[in-house]
Amino acid sequence: MSFHDASTREFPPFSTDLCIKCNVCTTVCPVARVTDDFPGPKYVGPQAQRFRGPGVGSGAPDRSVDLCSGCGICTRACPAGVLIAETNNRARAAIVEERGSSLRNRLISDTDLLGRLGVPLAPLANIGLKNGLARWMGEKLLGIHRRGPLTTFARRTFGSWWKRRGGAVALPPVPDPSRTVVYFHGCAVNSFEPDLGRDAVEILERNGFTVIVPRQECCGLPFISNGLYAQARAKARRNLASLAEFARAGYRIVGTSTSCTHALKAEYREMLDLSDADATAVADATWDICELLLDLHDRGELDVGFAPMVEPLPYHPPCQLKSHGIGTPAMDLFALVPGLRAIDSDHDCCGAAGTYGLKVERWQIAQDVGAPLFAAVRASGAARAACDSETCRWQIEQSSGVPTVHPITILAESYRRADTAVEEPWRRIV
Amino acid sequence: MPRADVVVIGAGLAGLSCAAELAERGARVFLAAKGMATTHWTHGGLDVAAPPGAQTSRAGVHSLAATNHHPYRFLAVDADAAVTAHLARMSSQGMPHVGFLDDPLTPIPTAIGSLRRAAILPSAQAAASEPWADDGLLLVGFRRYRDAWASYSARNLRNARWPGGPSEIRAVDVELPGLDRLHNIAPHVLARLFEDPVWRSRALSAIAAVLPAGAWRIGLPAVLGLDAHAEVHAEAERAFSHRVFEMASLPPSVPGLRLFEALRRRILTRGGRIQIGFDVVDVERTGRRIEAIHTEAASRTLRIAADAFVLATGGIGGAGIRADHGGTLTERVFGLPVAAPSRERWFNDDPLLPHPLEAAGIEVDDDLAPPELENVRIIGSALPGMHYLDERCGDGVALASANRVARSLAASHAVAA
Repeated sequence: MSFHDASTREFPPFSTDLCIKCNVCTTVCPVARVTDDFPGPKYVGPQAQRFRGPGVGSGAPDRSVDLCSGCGICTRACPAGVLIAETNNRARAAIVEERGSSLRNRLISDTDLLGRLGVPLAPLANIGLKNGLARWMGEKLLGIHRRGPLTTFARRTFGSWWKRRGGAVALPPVPDPSRTVVYFHGCAVNSFEPDLGRDAVEILERNGFTVIVPRQECCGLPFISNGLYAQARAKARRNLASLAEFARAGYRIVGTSTSCTHALKAEYREMLDLSDADATAVADATWDICELLLDLHDRGELDVGFAPMVEPLPYHPPCQLKSHGIGTPAMDLFALVPGLRAIDSDHDCCGAAGTYGLKVERWQIAQDVGAPLFAAVRASGAARAACDSETCRWQIEQSSGVPTVHPITILAESYRRADTAVEEPWRRIV
Repeated sequence: MPRADVVVIGAGLAGLSCAAELAERGARVFLAAKGMATTHWTHGGLDVAAPPGAQTSRAGVHSLAATNHHPYRFLAVDADAAVTAHLARMSSQGMPHVGFLDDPLTPIPTAIGSLRRAAILPSAQAAASEPWADDGLLLVGFRRYRDAWASYSARNLRNARWPGGPSEIRAVDVELPGLDRLHNIAPHVLARLFEDPVWRSRALSAIAAVLPAGAWRIGLPAVLGLDAHAEVHAEAERAFSHRVFEMASLPPSVPGLRLFEALRRRILTRGGRIQIGFDVVDVERTGRRIEAIHTEAASRTLRIAADAFVLATGGIGGAGIRADHGGTLTERVFGLPVAAPSRERWFNDDPLLPHPLEAAGIEVDDDLAPPELENVRIIGSALPGMHYLDERCGDGVALASANRVARSLAASHAVAA
């Protein structure tokens, strides 16, 4: 999201003093648009903030802030520079700290644990994830909506593939930060979408990078979204401890999830108050993969030998990407692929918001928020859609019925096609 | 980030319409703004010029052009073309307007029961500007809706000096279906309800049921739908068998939301780019040229390079100019010098007189370029010499300056290409 000046950088709630009560944020809030239970960002943010503080009770004046999905559009719309979404996230964390959290929220936030349990049991676990009775029980026992957007476990983690491949995990003996990058795969690639990680490695290597995959855990964003700051800080500290030496040595840290990379860039500092030298070095070194590839292209260094991909491609820039403030680099990359007709969804939010759309009491809100997007994706007639964040992809795919992939998947396919394409005879004649 | 031809900074009426005009003329335009802006706080009509005494907007433009420092002294020639282009653009986006520069400035009732003089209005507000003859004014309020009070407006309007006004002014409050079950009844919430054909038909019937007999013109809070507002307005007139007009009330202004959305879509469909939510934090300057701006980002900054940069960030009442406690005024993006009265003249004995600081702004030449930077243009209320609250000239100056800059930059881009 955004830094404004030194007085607000340390502690977003102070920025609420800048609120001029203009209500612009309430007009753009996707949750307030679909449910009257949520009074909107101004009310739960700058208005309510005046009633919060030491001795007042963290839940003051009520708990409606918990309906915030954390999409961050309010912060971007605000003309006065109030860090509304960040303030709301901290307010939720204060409620959780005082009143505790549900087993469900602690479970769905712990994606590393789910992966450790699910991947070894993948065939069985996946039957459960697809089984109506099991999902019904999950809803009744845990409060995970039976139609919540869950994907299936991979049979093998990305980490184990990398290990078998003999990929680098530590600083190279001869430093080469200009042609070597660190890959932050996050929990989703590790346990659910290892193919996306392989595509990323392939693309980076094709463009002349050596890839290092150091020790890492889930970025902690699911814990942050659920107000579980202590658990999130534990994840963050371990990631920072592992990544900081690469960042300080000048290596870029590249991620394929705009959610993880945003956590590394912003949330560790803005929400978890981790603003030491390690956190700053890692934030400054972190890149979204499309951001990195576009930067490469701006320097004339990207391999633009993309084979044609003649298809319409509805593309949804996720909320977390929008909070990066880097534009929509995937759209610029799609423009390099002949025949690809990418269409920006121009829709605010898919509704999933990480774990929000899984919760039985939030599922309908999440569906209603994303409904116009799902309809547009369906109406496009496209065979697939693209989106940079995993839970958004799962939500769009499940609710629109249109398979949804990461932009990198499209680019990797195009590169592969270029490699296998038979050379046109007329080229040889010339 | 691909290089742009022109970067426009600011998303008020000036910045949005400049970016739209540029995109329509084939320039690659990037609009960067730190947040959404003044469109959401306006009444939705077009204030071109209504200084005290002027009978038409054109007369207002001429009288302001004759004053020493007013931007109209060199922008007056652009007013016709700029307003024409804006109205055509609005019309193409489903927002037709009535009136032009030569139409009489007519008193229009406001939500607080005062009168403002206007001539160019969205068609959903047009019925308020037509001669009243023997028609009465019936203000309709919605129970539980706290942002517009019909009886309060009516009482103030009855006490107002309104020559040629309605024969009678009355107010009535209506219970709209389902509002008793809602907690958050904001203008945009009602506007979205009016988009739903089923709810709308029940709501219009509920209003029609309480209308008294006689020849009335009906003033409603400005919440008659968003995208479908022309349809909602027409349906309301059919349901009531009376002319209906909207009155904007507390922010967020629904007519302003429509205006913002119409211009935003126009820019995007013509290939322009928009980034809202990130302030300009750095600029790259070589001599008298700006090479690129940097906008804030989650880490590092986003570099946006272009041939020209249009500053539409607003004046002292907007976000373009800041004052510190010592009396120094700063232009926030390029650090340009600000023309303003000295610190000891910042105060008036009468708080209701125009504030001297309103006129603060960036001095420019006839191309709207500041002397310090050759590829920067200043538009809208960042220009000096206006008292736009009293002169009611803010929209006209925004459009005229945006139009002049867009035409000249698009032409130089076409030559360069």
